[in-house]
Amino acid sequence: MTAHHASPSVPPHRYVIIGNGVAGNQAAEGLRSRDPEGLVTIITNNRLLFYNRYLLPLLFRSHKDWRELQSHSADYYQKHRIRVIRDVRVTAVDAGRRQVMLAHKEPITYDTLLVATGGRSYLPEELADSRHLLNSFGTYEQAMAVKKALPDRGTVVMLGGDMIGLDLARTLLSIDCRVVLVTHETTFWPHQVTPEVRMEFLNVLRDMGMDVIDGDAAGGVTAIEPGTAGLPARRVVFRQGGDVYGDVVMPFYGLVPSVEFMMGSGTDIERGILVGTNLRTNDNHIFAAGDVCQIWSEQEHAYRFYYGYQNVRAMGAVAASNMTGGNEHFAITQNGSLRRDGHGHIDSSFWAYD
Amino acid sequence: MQFSDDPRDIGWVRTNVPCQNACPAGTNVPAYIRSIAEGLHGQAYEINRESNVLPSVLGRICSRPCESACRHGWPGNGEPVGICSLKRSAADLKDSGHRITERLFAPTGKRIAVVGAGPAGIAAAHDLSLLGHDVVIFEKEEKPGGMLRYGIPEFRLPRPLLDIELHNALRLGVQLRTGTPVGVGKGAVRVSTLLADFDAVLLGTGCMAPSRLDLRGIPPGQDPSRVSQDVEYGLHFLMDLHRGQNKRVGRRVAVVGAGFTALDCARVARRLGGMEVTIHLRTSEEYIPVTHEELFETKREGIRIKGLRTPVGLQLDDNGRLLGVEFVQNRLGGWRDNGRRLAVPIEGSEFIETCDTLIIAIGQVTVNDFLDMRVELDRWGNVRIAENGMTSVSGLFAAGDFVHGASTAIQAIGHARKIADKIDTWLVGRKRRQVVQMEPVAAPLRDHAFDFIQRQAMPTTPLPERQLTREVECGLTRDLASEEAKRCYLCDLRYQINVDRCIYCRACIEVAPRNCIKLISDVEIQKDGSYGQLLETKEWSRVAAIWIDNNECIRCGACFKVCPVACISITRNKLITVDV
Ligand SMILES: Cc1cc2nc3c(=O)[nH]c(=O)nc-3n(C[C@H](O)[C@H](O)[C@H](O)COP(=O)(O)OP(=O)(O)OC[C@H]3O[C@@H](n4cnc5c(N)ncnc54)[C@H](O)[C@@H]3O)c2cc1C
Ligand SMILES: Cc1cc2nc3c(=O)[nH]c(=O)nc-3n(C[C@H](O)[C@H](O)[C@H](O)COP(=O)(O)OP(=O)(O)OC[C@H]3O[C@@H](n4cnc5c(N)ncnc54)[C@H](O)[C@@H]3O)c2cc1C
Ligand code: SF4
Ligand code: SF4
Ligand code: SF4
Repeated sequence: MTAHHASPSVPPHRYVIIGNGVAGNQAAEGLRSRDPEGLVTIITNNRLLFYNRYLLPLLFRSHKDWRELQSHSADYYQKHRIRVIRDVRVTAVDAGRRQVMLAHKEPITYDTLLVATGGRSYLPEELADSRHLLNSFGTYEQAMAVKKALPDRGTVVMLGGDMIGLDLARTLLSIDCRVVLVTHETTFWPHQVTPEVRMEFLNVLRDMGMDVIDGDAAGGVTAIEPGTAGLPARRVVFRQGGDVYGDVVMPFYGLVPSVEFMMGSGTDIERGILVGTNLRTNDNHIFAAGDVCQIWSEQEHAYRFYYGYQNVRAMGAVAASNMTGGNEHFAITQNGSLRRDGHGHIDSSFWAYD
Repeated sequence: MQFSDDPRDIGWVRTNVPCQNACPAGTNVPAYIRSIAEGLHGQAYEINRESNVLPSVLGRICSRPCESACRHGWPGNGEPVGICSLKRSAADLKDSGHRITERLFAPTGKRIAVVGAGPAGIAAAHDLSLLGHDVVIFEKEEKPGGMLRYGIPEFRLPRPLLDIELHNALRLGVQLRTGTPVGVGKGAVRVSTLLADFDAVLLGTGCMAPSRLDLRGIPPGQDPSRVSQDVEYGLHFLMDLHRGQNKRVGRRVAVVGAGFTALDCARVARRLGGMEVTIHLRTSEEYIPVTHEELFETKREGIRIKGLRTPVGLQLDDNGRLLGVEFVQNRLGGWRDNGRRLAVPIEGSEFIETCDTLIIAIGQVTVNDFLDMRVELDRWGNVRIAENGMTSVSGLFAAGDFVHGASTAIQAIGHARKIADKIDTWLVGRKRRQVVQMEPVAAPLRDHAFDFIQRQAMPTTPLPERQLTREVECGLTRDLASEEAKRCYLCDLRYQINVDRCIYCRACIEVAPRNCIKLISDVEIQKDGSYGQLLETKEWSRVAAIWIDNNECIRCGACFKVCPVACISITRNKLITVDV
């Protein structure tokens, strides 16, 4: 069913999607097919078109041009009449005027808005002063910066060690880099593991060749410093004394939803944007999908996040349907537990994509 | 220099200087920021002190309603000016030999008793003494300051600074009697005695009791610290600490509440050795009524914040030691009368968080049992005051948190100053009114380039050095303060086009950085006589004037510089109070 029929007297419906990730693109595709006349605009702060970030670790195995990671070509967007505004940050949403405000102060008007801004890697506030000495891993550019900073067989100190980091870690080990993992409560995020499972899989990581430091026992990381001459480029200092050196230090403490620009818009937020299983927010004209939203779970009586490619993609589809008059509900499609692969190495359902 | 009591001019300052309008004490923000930009920190301090006797204190702990209103923070304009840190810089960077200037009135022979030496009592006492009255403050604690001393931790407000400003506020002859409770108990001075001995009495006794939290298994109204030594109200926790007691917390500390007190308790708990300190909110972070900076520093100290939960019960072992707190999961509901968000508990969603210490900091309320007479209360149990500031008892006035319920230091000060004026009017009949002082300004005071300066971050003490009494925020340096001061648009500057001389060349419209200069057919006049909406028109035949929309104007000066017939004027507008 298509809700918004084009007719000469009705101007086309303006769909605006903030975020050019899995959820945003899936939604754009759905909107286009359900409302052929609608105006579909994606706004993203990325310079590049949508590419598969799950493949970023592969950059360390062989050189890949970013186009090889790209999910859709520029032609695809043109053909489907999906306008992509790139390299601009959304700074505010004025729900009263139904406008999205861009950093360069241009307003974009919407009839229906989808917030699909995902999450960015979380850096515990106590490490904020060390940000400039840390390497993030959220974009192609950031991945290339790590590659450049890392000498042959160099050492990466991984703080936290969520599943995004551990995916990179297994690649780094396979190219003979040294990986030092400083554990944290977010190790294995977004998996929620019992102490026994945690212990078991830390041993799996050790067996795979990783150095594992018990972050809690060390009192946590207090500072990152530049290494001194003759030593690797970075020094990680622990609260209880002691330190570890690496060529690159990377925080992998899980993701926090990118919602700052929604503050003050009147949309309900706890950590993420609060939605029902139909992905509607408390504002009739605003939907949210992907890593940015916290979905009400009737079973758990709580708002929760659902990560993973398949979940996020399903959300994009549900949002597109409901933005065009449908009444679909998101149901979890991918539930993760840690497992071992045929070599006894760590494996996770979060690493699956298609 | 011109003066005007035209409602349109008074209305102009009210709506166009949003920071000053939002400040409960009416601080002339653009004037003091301009002084800082000129390097005149002492002058900036004095401008502050005209409205608020404790600039150094407020420059540290103010809740900053002005910054939420600042034009620089409006959509599309970036981040608000660091008004509060600039206030602090005026205090920190003024000359060491800086002399306070004050206008004194002749003695009136009237005697006034002020009960409570919190910010409200202090501000009122100061103003009343300047007005020539004899003032005595009665304070039950050993030292003055109220919640500034007994609530706010030293790492946010160093006590030597508080002492200096309190001293300066009272130095003009106010008598301070500390350790002197007013009330009905033994050794206390009765309110009725004060009313008999003084010409007027002002109650500024604040909110001295914690809001009660009902928990399953604890009889309503009973203090939960009686049930378990591991449970305490945050207000008692902080007040005991600041009276000099040793306080202890367990390894895992749960703090419930969302205001200043909750954050302060959590940060103190962390400094006392709490390893896992978590603040539990009924709603979510977006609705916490504290500044972003404070929230950030709290998190930086390793404190976690969890939302959408309400505590409903305690888990205790056989010896009454705390094992955990039972919460119920919430969803966000509508809005409460006070503008805060409602949380709606979800049935059947209870869960336990294990912890060793629970600190309850869900608010503070007034205490009235010290009154030895019937005084009319409002529906929240706070004293009701009339238009002239008086309670239902003749000669008995009230100000600050004691009237409004728990609020903020600047609200207490702003309110107390108004009540002090009213007491003065009641006692000696002096009346005042506001007028606008308009001073011509020869040229724009800002460069367009200033609009691109980022808000300057407050330097802070490194984490490992953050102890109980070490101040966290270090203050802006002279250079940082000067950069931050340049960011202010100086909203008190009013750009106006003289329509009679304008040749409608539209050059100003072309250079304007935004939609600030408009062709209009008319201007609405509001009920109070001030200007309302501009009625824009695109039809030449209907254009009645070319008008600067001062709401949109960011005082960049571009129009002034480009106008070929120099028909744009600039004036600095200042609200002043004059005796009638
Ligand atoms: C390197 C990397 C590897 C990952 N690997 C896995 C994995 O193996 N398995 C897994 O389950 N998950 C993985 N994730 C997490 C994964 O990204 C998400 O679960 C999923 O892609 C989320 O999709 P999304 O569409 O919600 O958001 P995202 O894919 O994060 O897209 C959000 C988009 O919004 C844009 N945006 C954000 N804020 C703004 C703003 N203010 N203005 C304009 N644009 C904005 C961003 O630039 C981005 O284009 C990985 C993430 C990263 C960074
Ligand atoms: C922990 C905490 C942190 C806070 N942080 C901030 C902040 O960062 N910024 C901010 O703006 N506000 C903050 N506040 C709020 C602010 O401190 C108050 O709003 C303000 O102090 C109220 O001023 P007041 O003079 O009305 O009352 P109070 O400051 O409460 O002063 C009342 C005075 O009256 C005295 N008194 C009471 N009863 C009697 C009696 N019977 N006899 C004699 N004396 C009596 C008391 O001892 C006290 O000295 C905080 C409050 C608390 C509790
Ligand atoms: S820009 Fe300056 S004068 Fe204008 S509101 Fe902000 S602080 Fe006040
Ligand atoms: S000073 Fe003139 S040009 Fe600049 S913002 Fe104001 S009205 Fe517009
Ligand atoms: S530049 Fe001067 S003369 Fe020209 S339209 Fe503007 S105000 Fe009038």
